[in-house]
Amino acid sequence: MNARQRAEARAGYLLLVPSFVGVGVFLLLPVLIVLALSFTRYNLLSAPQWAGLDNFVYLLGWERFRNSLWVTTLFTLMTIPTSIVLGLLLAVAINRRLPGTSWLRVLYVLPWVCAPLALGVVWRWIFDPTNGALNALLGRRIEWLADVDLALPSVAFVQVWSSVGYISLFFLAGLQQIPVSVYEAAKLDGAGPVRTLWSITLPLLRPTMFFVTVTSIISSFQVFDTVYAMTGGGPRFTTDVIAARIYDEAFVALRLGRAAAMALVLFLLLVAVTLVQQRYFRRRITYDMS
Amino acid sequence: MTDATTRTPTRARAPRSAGSARLLANLLTYAFLLAGALLMVAPFLFSVMTSLKTPRQFNTSSPLTTPDPVTTENYVSLFGERYDFVVPIAVTAQVVLVLVVGQMLTSILAAYAFAQLRFPGRDAIFWVYLSTLMIPAVVTIIPLYAMMTSLGLKNSFAGLVVPFMFGSPYAIFLLRENFRSTPSDVLDAARIDGAGVMRRLWQVMVPMNKPILATLLLITVVSQWNNFMWPLVIAPRPEWHVITVATAALQTQYNGNWTLVMAATTIALAPLVVLFLIFQKQITSSLGVTGVR
Repeated sequence: MNARQRAEARAGYLLLVPSFVGVGVFLLLPVLIVLALSFTRYNLLSAPQWAGLDNFVYLLGWERFRNSLWVTTLFTLMTIPTSIVLGLLLAVAINRRLPGTSWLRVLYVLPWVCAPLALGVVWRWIFDPTNGALNALLGRRIEWLADVDLALPSVAFVQVWSSVGYISLFFLAGLQQIPVSVYEAAKLDGAGPVRTLWSITLPLLRPTMFFVTVTSIISSFQVFDTVYAMTGGGPRFTTDVIAARIYDEAFVALRLGRAAAMALVLFLLLVAVTLVQQRYFRRRITYDMS
Repeated sequence: MTDATTRTPTRARAPRSAGSARLLANLLTYAFLLAGALLMVAPFLFSVMTSLKTPRQFNTSSPLTTPDPVTTENYVSLFGERYDFVVPIAVTAQVVLVLVVGQMLTSILAAYAFAQLRFPGRDAIFWVYLSTLMIPAVVTIIPLYAMMTSLGLKNSFAGLVVPFMFGSPYAIFLLRENFRSTPSDVLDAARIDGAGVMRRLWQVMVPMNKPILATLLLITVVSQWNNFMWPLVIAPRPEWHVITVATAALQTQYNGNWTLVMAATTIALAPLVVLFLIFQKQITSSLGVTGVR
């Protein structure tokens, strides 16, 4: 290594110092701490006490934790297929480029950039049984957020509402990557619009579809703000998603050890989802037909 | 589009039905897009509309009617002594400012090191950074809370910003990709002219990457303004409420006082709506590229 290379290396390490604090102290260290805390009993008031596998054993038999996993799964099953189908439809509709529709795209993405908490509060009012806009529109009195059968679908609806425009952006990008020549060839072969959709558009959108599904699963497993604003996990824990359960255990019940164990389980689930994604993305599909 | 109508007359029937099918498809597309757009903006309009009604108006008329007369009463009392919404706006603005400056600066430095400088272990360190993108906020929030609380930083400005001001792996990743594709001949020319590492970074690299830096700035503002879980946990006392936490607190405390609550949500939403409408190109392009908010 000559003097110039050494100087360059020194500069490189120096430039990394501030971000290394961010990554090392505030991202990697917390993962180690959460791992350590998950083997303890800790209530913030006294020092953490070693508890071995107690927290995990407890979680295995804890009905409320199972409920949270189930609620989160249901929520994911309600939101993802719906927002993918609607997002794809929206992208196809926008991609027809009818005059006067391009600026509408802005409106669809609007909910995505706004605070989920504030939007959740607005929707809480819209769903309000006595003064809310929805019941006024329907002329009926439905307890959207207090009914055990309606609360989760209502929250899921808001999630779909806020993410569908964002999801359509990915499909739109995917659609625009498909070369026009492929469609022209299909047309020459006499393929109609439905056939073209099934045999060309959807197969070529598969990588986009997969990417959107995985990122949506990851974000839907972490949903918190919307639930906090709309239902707070109720009624009778029917919207008690995993992030809300972790929040409640850690910061309301002050059982940080048990909450850390739940956070660790969630983390492992999300890592598994991410690994599946990475395996898949090694086999990329290319559109280059030349 | 017009080729169907100019064909030979012997095939006149088929083109006409194809033409009307296209017309029908266009109409359906318009109907779908407009209905969707209406559904998207309705909650925003409801929020504004309700915030401009007196509680009396709100209780005696349908929620769907427009305010008559328009009143600013809710905003006046929101900024008055009792609710003092000036505080959350000021706190949020300061938090956003510090986090944006901190994250941009540290991320630019790191991205430049990863993209343009050669040093042992560079790629390994980058992979470590990249892997932290997988760590969800719900996982780090418990240890961060324990760390900040044991340092005595609960209910303080430092508690709100310190864990997040030293760069974000996402910003570093995004910038590194862009810095790498910056043509190296310009940088080499600057090096030959005797420009050191820092001068090459600030006088060549940064000016050449203004668009991506602007985009990153915007998404950082958006995500920090909207942040809720961490401020809720670390700064629950009213004097350190950020706007989202203050809105949530108002909703819980004055449940049913919807005109006041909708004034709060309107304040929480309005700045970002305006920002987004002005810079929608930059914001949507980055969303499409990276998939991270």
